[in-house]
Amino acid sequence: MPEILVQYEAEIWQSIGETFIMVGVSIIAAILVGLPVGTLLYLCRKGQLYENHFIFSILNLLVNVTRSFPFLLLVVFLLPFTRMVIGTAMGTAAATVPLSIIAIAHYSRLVEQSLLDVPRGVMEAAVSMGASVREIILKFLYVEARSGLVLGLTTSIISFISYSTIMGVVGGGGIGDFAIRYGYQQFKDDLMMYMIIIMVILVQLIQFTGTTVSRMIDKR
Amino acid sequence: MIILHNVSKNFGQFKAVKSVSLSVHNGEIHGIIGASGAGKSTLLRIMNLLEIPEAGDVEINGKTLTKMRGKDLRQARKSIGMIFQHFNLVANKTVYENVAVSLKLARFPRRQRKGRVMECLQFVGLERFQDKYPAQLSGGQKQRVAIARALANNPQVLLCDEPTSSLDPNTTAEILGVLENVNKSLGVTIVIVSHEMDVIRSICNRVTVMADGEVYDTVSIEPKGIHILDNNPKSFVEQLTKDGDVGHA
Ligand SMILES: Nc1ncnc2c1ncn2[C@@H]1O[C@H](COP(=O)(O)OP(=O)(O)O)[C@@H](O)[C@H]1O
Ligand SMILES: [Mg+2]
Repeated sequence: MPEILVQYEAEIWQSIGETFIMVGVSIIAAILVGLPVGTLLYLCRKGQLYENHFIFSILNLLVNVTRSFPFLLLVVFLLPFTRMVIGTAMGTAAATVPLSIIAIAHYSRLVEQSLLDVPRGVMEAAVSMGASVREIILKFLYVEARSGLVLGLTTSIISFISYSTIMGVVGGGGIGDFAIRYGYQQFKDDLMMYMIIIMVILVQLIQFTGTTVSRMIDKR
Repeated sequence: MIILHNVSKNFGQFKAVKSVSLSVHNGEIHGIIGASGAGKSTLLRIMNLLEIPEAGDVEINGKTLTKMRGKDLRQARKSIGMIFQHFNLVANKTVYENVAVSLKLARFPRRQRKGRVMECLQFVGLERFQDKYPAQLSGGQKQRVAIARALANNPQVLLCDEPTSSLDPNTTAEILGVLENVNKSLGVTIVIVSHEMDVIRSICNRVTVMADGEVYDTVSIEPKGIHILDNNPKSFVEQLTKDGDVGHA
């Protein structure tokens, strides 16, 4: 192993751990909140099963506004909220707040798009069989859209990694922050390169896994 | 017995179904024919409230569907099967799972589920295809799965929206044969919407003719029976030229 990596081994592991925490929490938020929000966007959309202009417009606006913020500004804008939720606006835990919010907005849009690919007829067949809303979603909608949902999550996770790299501004740490502070600011170009390589490998692994899984579960 | 009493359905300004009254008798195969856009599908979809009519009542076997909402309506739909032109199977479920889901929705006892699914698949002749996915089946086979799925909960009524309109002539005859069997041996009342006169003439006992959202007339007919062509080009040519006055080009 190159000497510089050995020298900074502890810090590197720590920064990788921070990235995993930030991205991990984002993924959880995306699934627990982004998936239902995306599903609501889909169901309430004009011409869909539970068309509801009011709910659709509100969610649509929230998602659009969140996504149109330059991410750095969103982080700053959310500082008071973060402080309220976490107790502090600095550190890895605090960094997960704006990351989760962008994660929800990001993934919900991709969820909505995947669900729009489900043929309307399948939904109608479900209704004609007497399925409840819950059954329609779980036994039909998600089953039929599952490969798109996985592919969307893959894309989202890769974006989350990218977003997490700037969380150094609030002391969130992570691989990106480490590369900037030690590599760039201390002129250790080789260290920065190694960090970039780690990120590239990480992204490749995620993309490969996502693509493989999505292909495996697609029987259409 | 299905009774529609003055049902109307509008899409915005457009009146798709205009105060239609109609009754379908128990045990019959009732055809609905008419030009494209006449409102046939809308009328059929009103029968299980897939389209909720602005006015009028829908009654099936003494229950007024139009008075029901939520759970009661969902419960009622479980005894009304429906099949579609484009089959509408769940592509990510196997043939077996596609039929089983209908039983799960109806809380069919878990232990008897497998037996019931296989019974339905046998009825449509697809028991050996239980582990296949819809993408691996032909159009006719997909429609058979859809029929098995619709029959799983022993419905009293089967609604069919252009069930053969995306199938070739031979497969059409096969599917009509299955539907006739559903009617004869299971006693299921069938309503079949089609724009193809041949389809309607071959199996229906009574036919409602629709035009511009209204019922033009309902007539009783003697079903002509299903003519299965040999699956070869010669029989297609024979069929085309058998009326005499047409020759080869
Ligand atoms: N969901 C809908 N929204 C708007 N117009 C519709 C809708 N469904 C049907 N229509 C219109 O209602 C008329 C009747 O449709 P339909 O019942 O499908 O006719 P058919 O099955 O006889 O071809 C058509 O003109 C069609 O365009
Ligand atoms: Mg139609």
